Amino acid sequence: MKTIVKSALLAVSALAISAVTAVADPVEIKLQRFFGACDADFGTNTDVAKATGECGIITSLINKFNADNPDIHISVTNVEWPGYDQLNAQFAAGDAPDIVTIHESVLSDYQSKNLLLPLDDLLKSEGITPDQFTSAAQQGVTKDGKFYGMPIDTWTMLYHVNMDLFKQAGLVNPDGTPIFPKSVDEAIAQAEQFKAKTGKPYFVQNMANETALFMRNFYTYLFQQDSDFFADPKHIKVQTPEAKKVLEFYKKIYDEDLTTKDMDYGTAINAFLAGEGGVQLNGTWVVGDYNAQSETAGTALNKGGYAVYPYPQLFGGTHAQYADGHSWAVSAKDRKPEELAAIGKFLKFYFDNDYEWSRTGHLPSVQAVLDSDQFKALPHRSTILEVAKLGKPLPQQIQRQFALQDIIGEEAGAAITGQKDIDAALADMETRVNDLLSNL
Amino acid sequence: MTAVQAPRKPSHGPHSPDWKNALFVAPYLFFFVTLLVFPLFWGIWLSFHKADTFSSGPFVGFGNYVRLFNDKVFLQSVGNTFYFVLLTVPTLALIGLFLALALNARTRTATVLRSLFFFSSVLSVTIVTLIWRIVFIPQFGLLATVYGWFGATAPAFVSDPNLAMIAVAMATIWWCLGLPMMLFLSALQQIPGDIYEAAALDNASRWRTLTAITLPSIKRTFALVIIIQIVLQFQLFGQAWLMTRGGPNNVTKPIVLYIYDTAFRRWDLGLGAAASEVLFVLILLAAMAQYLISRRKEDL
Repeated sequence: MKTIVKSALLAVSALAISAVTAVADPVEIKLQRFFGACDADFGTNTDVAKATGECGIITSLINKFNADNPDIHISVTNVEWPGYDQLNAQFAAGDAPDIVTIHESVLSDYQSKNLLLPLDDLLKSEGITPDQFTSAAQQGVTKDGKFYGMPIDTWTMLYHVNMDLFKQAGLVNPDGTPIFPKSVDEAIAQAEQFKAKTGKPYFVQNMANETALFMRNFYTYLFQQDSDFFADPKHIKVQTPEAKKVLEFYKKIYDEDLTTKDMDYGTAINAFLAGEGGVQLNGTWVVGDYNAQSETAGTALNKGGYAVYPYPQLFGGTHAQYADGHSWAVSAKDRKPEELAAIGKFLKFYFDNDYEWSRTGHLPSVQAVLDSDQFKALPHRSTILEVAKLGKPLPQQIQRQFALQDIIGEEAGAAITGQKDIDAALADMETRVNDLLSNL
Repeated sequence: MTAVQAPRKPSHGPHSPDWKNALFVAPYLFFFVTLLVFPLFWGIWLSFHKADTFSSGPFVGFGNYVRLFNDKVFLQSVGNTFYFVLLTVPTLALIGLFLALALNARTRTATVLRSLFFFSSVLSVTIVTLIWRIVFIPQFGLLATVYGWFGATAPAFVSDPNLAMIAVAMATIWWCLGLPMMLFLSALQQIPGDIYEAAALDNASRWRTLTAITLPSIKRTFALVIIIQIVLQFQLFGQAWLMTRGGPNNVTKPIVLYIYDTAFRRWDLGLGAAASEVLFVLILLAAMAQYLISRRKEDL
């Protein structure tokens, strides 16, 4: 009898323990992101202040969230940038992640298919209102009057400058700031002067099988000429003198060897960090890493310093440059209230840590952070803050912007590297883009 | 007392058809139909419709095919695929044959070398392209380092429009060499030794033995290798995607990459399906050629 009672007690205890365990099981949220992998350096780091770079900061932030919230577990899938092919397959298979990084320029594609959850109510329940974001961030994620993503930054391309080589080239003002061109002719002249004095190309560009860089440069210099090339969101117009001027400028840079050639993205970064050229055309996301390099003794950027600026105005129109933003989007599907609450809590956590994310070099999406002294005190923000006003995205109604990037990048690249005549490339660009947009 | 059961009389002869036999093939048939036959007909159906990744629209007849054959990039990708097949298939057959002839010996060295040459075939496409990217990376790659020793600049293999496809072909040949070599080796080992003994007795030279005995004996394997490789290389995707992304300016974009790009990156599923059907017909022709050749072999 004693044994039976003992066994019964044990069984009851086991049941109780399993019930407690079941209650304590954390809510599982699937998160998918790009920004690279850095588990070797930051895989277990929860001290966000110690992290640098996009990957380090996002990894540490998610680690910290998991550590601070034992009732929630964010499991992360890391995808190769930008990860949309994988995301498309996941959506098509009904197996999309809960939270996913999406460029603001791409949100329309998914929103138009009702694949994303409008976030207004969820953000409101966490005390976040649209007016807390910068106007650029608000515009980037608002579709049909609703928020379809929580903006985390605004990004653009920048002139990253090796000041040592600029000094050698005689392209430095008395106050120590770099001298930039104010027209296409000046740009060519300064690049030639740079090459003559340093023996190195003015630009470090990743031109090998690249599309994104060509597209961003192309849009930027069309904006600078007030070219309304997307007056109709389903029809591009680039067989114009403005578009021709942009490609002629970059072709001249290429033909006169004023830029590096044949480099892919990683090689171009290494080349710039090794002091192989004066200006690297790269995004806001490398400011933190490059600044860290410039503070490390013995590096090429430490020799004479590192500076970073928006693209100079080379044409007679409004000063502007192409910009986009990253956001957290939430897939539309049936969820338990605790799962939705967990997602809301994570978004609030990221919102509250927008300053940490802005250390990457991206401009913050939260207005209070952008206005804060803490943000302004970060290195180089005084020179790049201007892009908050200069940054201009494509009209939000334009769909398939990443597919357009490939077409525009391929044709612009072909024209610049001489594989195609500029007029033929612009004609093909227009035909291919319009064929794509007329068959959505 | 139990009744003695009469022995069961078979209702059919031992070789007569029995529906239960279908159970043996049912598992295979299930996967064959769901994973191959159904997608095949679904693909054909899609190619006649306007469809994107998340929804299918109206019937458009041959509209997608008309768009396809008006698309310069598609026509370029067909040309690229043929060019790639031309670069890789003869090279794979000839190097595979050469290696098989050289390593058709029962020595330890030959065994080790056979394993070594076959080794690359077991690697995944990601690893293969990673290795070759390290070779081709400008300034910091293996090729750039070697050229640097002689004060020269290495050719820009992955970004020069004239060299990019050759670079993809080089990686592919290195990767795929194992199968042709093994097929030739198995064919060589089936040639009866007494023919060679007779040739030796007749004082036949090595060249004469090769051209009069060895090569005629393996000509069907040669055809088989060619056809298998044509079918395989027509499906080029991973190497081009990972090494060059189909660039520069689409010169390394094969048909499969065009399909991927169109269907999954541009969401134009109907057009992608139409391109898939064109590729299907091309591969079907190659497979039919293989079938005809193997039929001829049986007739002999």
